[in-house]
Amino acid sequence: MPISLRRIIGMAACLAVVGGALVVAQESVASGVTFQDLVQGYKNPARWLSFSGDYSGQRHSPLKQITPENARGLTAQWAFQTGVIPRRGFEGTPLVADGVMYLTGPFNNAWALDARTGRPFWRYQRQLPNDLTYGNISPVNRGFGLLGDRLFMLTLDAHLVSLNAKTGTVIWDSTLADYKIGYAATGAPLVVKDKVIIGISGGDFPTRGFIDAYDPKTGARIWRFYTVPGPGEAGSETWPAADVMARGGGATWVTGSYDPELNMVYWGTGNPNPLYYGDDRKGTNLYTASIVALDADTGTLKWTFQFSPHDTHDWDSTHVPVLADLTIAGQPRKVVMVANRNGFFYVFDRATGKLLVGKPFSDTTWARELGPDGHPIVLNDGSKGCLPDQWGSTNYMPPSFDPERRLFFVTVRETCAQYLPVKEEIVPGRISNSGTVRRDAEHSYGVLRAIDPTTVERRWEFKYPTPTMAGVMSTASGVVFAGDNEGNFIAFDGRTGKSVWSYSTGSPIWGAAPMTFMLDGRQHVIIGSGTTVTSFALPDTKK
Amino acid sequence: MIVSKVMLAVGALVLVAVGTPHAQDRAPGNPRDVDPATVRAGQGLFRERCAECHGADAKGVPNHDLTRLWASGATDDRVFQTIRAGVPNTIMPSSSAPDVELSALVSYLRSLNDAAPAEAARGNAVNGERIFWSTCGSCHAVGIRGGHLGPDLSRVGLNHSREALMQLIRSPKASVAGPYQPVTLVTRDGQRIRGAKKSEDAFSIQIMDTHEQLQGYLKASLRDVIADTSSLMPAFGPDRLNDRDLDDLLQYLNTLRAAGPATGRGAGRGRAGQ
Repeated sequence: MPISLRRIIGMAACLAVVGGALVVAQESVASGVTFQDLVQGYKNPARWLSFSGDYSGQRHSPLKQITPENARGLTAQWAFQTGVIPRRGFEGTPLVADGVMYLTGPFNNAWALDARTGRPFWRYQRQLPNDLTYGNISPVNRGFGLLGDRLFMLTLDAHLVSLNAKTGTVIWDSTLADYKIGYAATGAPLVVKDKVIIGISGGDFPTRGFIDAYDPKTGARIWRFYTVPGPGEAGSETWPAADVMARGGGATWVTGSYDPELNMVYWGTGNPNPLYYGDDRKGTNLYTASIVALDADTGTLKWTFQFSPHDTHDWDSTHVPVLADLTIAGQPRKVVMVANRNGFFYVFDRATGKLLVGKPFSDTTWARELGPDGHPIVLNDGSKGCLPDQWGSTNYMPPSFDPERRLFFVTVRETCAQYLPVKEEIVPGRISNSGTVRRDAEHSYGVLRAIDPTTVERRWEFKYPTPTMAGVMSTASGVVFAGDNEGNFIAFDGRTGKSVWSYSTGSPIWGAAPMTFMLDGRQHVIIGSGTTVTSFALPDTKK
Repeated sequence: MIVSKVMLAVGALVLVAVGTPHAQDRAPGNPRDVDPATVRAGQGLFRERCAECHGADAKGVPNHDLTRLWASGATDDRVFQTIRAGVPNTIMPSSSAPDVELSALVSYLRSLNDAAPAEAARGNAVNGERIFWSTCGSCHAVGIRGGHLGPDLSRVGLNHSREALMQLIRSPKASVAGPYQPVTLVTRDGQRIRGAKKSEDAFSIQIMDTHEQLQGYLKASLRDVIADTSSLMPAFGPDRLNDRDLDDLLQYLNTLRAAGPATGRGAGRGRAGQ
């Protein structure tokens, strides 16, 4: 593929350390995808430019070619074999810009593919150290960020790298944190204006979570928001001691959402550390298991809400926050919605953080209602069994929201488990479960559930035999795409929940969510599963 | 640089392991001589990678009590190789972890086994074998002989305690996981087909019926799929198997520790683990 003269002139081959970032080659970020393109989201149907497709996190495409009526005609167009065996799943959402698909996979492999054929343009493979910590347990990656002609990828050794979208070569490489303590990074970066905003993984190890913003040109860090406060800072009163806060968890491993008008970033935070034994971290443990709304320019906390105070169930609140306009109690509201791992569905005024709706969307026995302070009225602490297991009523797999039909589609895990906390020594570099969980397979299953977000009423559901970790995407034509633990990629009629098409991919759809785009006048739908990424479309009527 | 105790213990084991191909040679010969730090390292690895399925106490999988492995005749090498290779057609995966980490796991498991009380052997295995082939062999295989509706018992003595086997024989429970879940399919014309469920998804189900025929059905072609609460295996109470014969049968089962045939273990369930 030819490189334009402007790009060549813009490139300045140099090797320098800028603000802690190793800069391998300097080049312009002015060409290619712009911030305005990202704000416009789905406006160009040939593009899918960010993890959720747009800043709202709705994962709801305006495309209408594939409908509930014709979806039965979907056929595989191509399959791309990554050649990389995942330890968990293929969890990434590809990006597509101008006929090229940008894909990340396990162990920090990445590819640029011809979106028409699945044939590769280039492959990037990071040389990872052999003493990874959390990155060794969960060697996944959920996708690229994109700005100009630069891609941004987080790595299992807790770096952020920028790749040249044309070649896959490294432009800069910035260290986020010390992976040897337990840090890793697995999420997809969120590009906002002139910043690359990222979250960190490793809250199951004795680490302290944060959200960072980096300069896309140099890789220099612009701001950092710690999800666990420092001594004397607001929120520190919810922890017993400084050393406990310093390893308090609160990882931020799922991509957030952004409101360009309010200039606020919404991001979920993970479990406190250690996971199951909480007696040595008495207090509510802010800002773990929470949502935080940050000023995108400065990282300043605008508002926050904690879903699971003093969590002892590994219930990260690392979900894609979904932004929408809803009328609640007769009043139009700009909201952010979260279907939480703790079994409750929440709706907030996203300007103020006011809680508008908070009700169970699953059959959780942990709690069935929230108190006046928004905290759950706990009925079962986990010692008795049958409340969501440690993977929760849902998890990091993205949901979708259809604003026209006012339906929130979420993969729900109906599970039972008993929690057995144990006091353990906390050691840097070692996972600090401090207990274990006995799951009850007999009473566990998965379900795709459509709920009315204003009332949390269940409109329809489709049951899977086992708890499922597949993400969801919906389209304006009324199709909902999801998948299951048995490996089926399924299209549903979004009005009724009836399955209208399915394809057995041969491996669980695990954490991945579908994406879609137009190419050559045809709508393509993409899903990753196991070692394979597959493209589907209706038959080509021009042939 | 921060170095965890796991890494230190693993590092110590590396010195022992150089140039030796088998775990039994790698680990110190006398289990009571094992470095406590190695056992602790193995405990950490177990909690990190194994406890989710096997339980923090290593007794988490029904009838697969890991605290009794050595009492049932397991060796360091066999346990090491099982962790390395995984168990085919089950959810237990193979491991690509370094040898020293697996050795630390073996040391930890052996320390649990050292603490487990020994079981007294009793019964006549020769008579037990006769009872087995007249009573159990139509559904269970040992080696290349026997049926396939129930689990292959070629290695049952390795990882089942006498007490656990006795309970399974006296009052078998319907399996709720794995490839032996009892199920009844009801066809559109009312025919009922009973068997062991091998696989299921939202749209289809695969079984071995009671005639050992492998059959797949689209759920759209069935009137009902009933998850049975009673096991395909009948209960063998004292009226069908007296205590003396039960002792003999248990003694025979305890001798079954050979590698089973490559086939006949059925399809596994989908993977677990986040």
